[in-house]
Amino acid sequence: MRKKSRLLENNESDAINVSPLIDVVFILLIFFIVSATFVTLPGIEVTRPQAVTGKTLEKNAVIFALSGENEIKYAGSTVQLEEIPTLVEQASKDSGKPVVIQVDQWADASILAKIVAQARKKSSEVSIATRKPRA
Amino acid sequence: MRRRLTQESENTEINVSPLIDLVFILLIFFIVATSFVNEVGITPKHKDTASSSSNLEEPLAFDLPASGQLLQDGMVIGLEQIAPLVRSRSAEKKPSILVRVSPGARAGLATQVMDQAMLGGAQAVKLSPLVQ
Repeated sequence: MRKKSRLLENNESDAINVSPLIDVVFILLIFFIVSATFVTLPGIEVTRPQAVTGKTLEKNAVIFALSGENEIKYAGSTVQLEEIPTLVEQASKDSGKPVVIQVDQWADASILAKIVAQARKKSSEVSIATRKPRA
Repeated sequence: MRRRLTQESENTEINVSPLIDLVFILLIFFIVATSFVNEVGITPKHKDTASSSSNLEEPLAFDLPASGQLLQDGMVIGLEQIAPLVRSRSAEKKPSILVRVSPGARAGLATQVMDQAMLGGAQAVKLSPLVQ
């Protein structure tokens, strides 16, 4: 009781000043809103092939994965080769998103070639994800 | 005006607690929903319109059979020989590269072949499955 009265004596209001906290939280919120891209990930982790000329790709892309067991993955489920053009069209909503293929280095190259050909029907830019080059 | 407000309520400050709650919920939602994909990769471009003229000028073709070898014009070559080959070809004209892959060839090798060709200055790299 005595403690409270002392606090009240020291400063007029006993509430903590939350304005700086709100400022910081708002800045964080704006940062996350701006950086949010909402890409659907394939849901599997692949061993990417090595490459020297790899460049940073567009973040807002339609991502497919080709696993080492030669399964094509999109948004967590296995899809067929014929579904790819439809999926690309649905995902990009006529804004022409680029396509990124995460390929396992032990996957079959002919399937990769077929995926590239299918994706190219609906997207002008088809990339193959590689390992990050050592700096 | 000010006096009336102070008379009505002891605390003149707006209660910001619900606002903070809401903002925190939004913040947590965006933190969870944001996926920081930072993908590095190669983009083999090829012009579909040039298909008629590319028949005249033979593209530099690399074959990847199921055995895991790399063939150029029927001869086994190494990965490091691709870039000089492409570079010697590019002195004449813009080189277009064709990578023919057989079923059973490794995607990692095909990607490395395309990567090496682009290192050698190739403009168009086409990956095509070889029908047997």
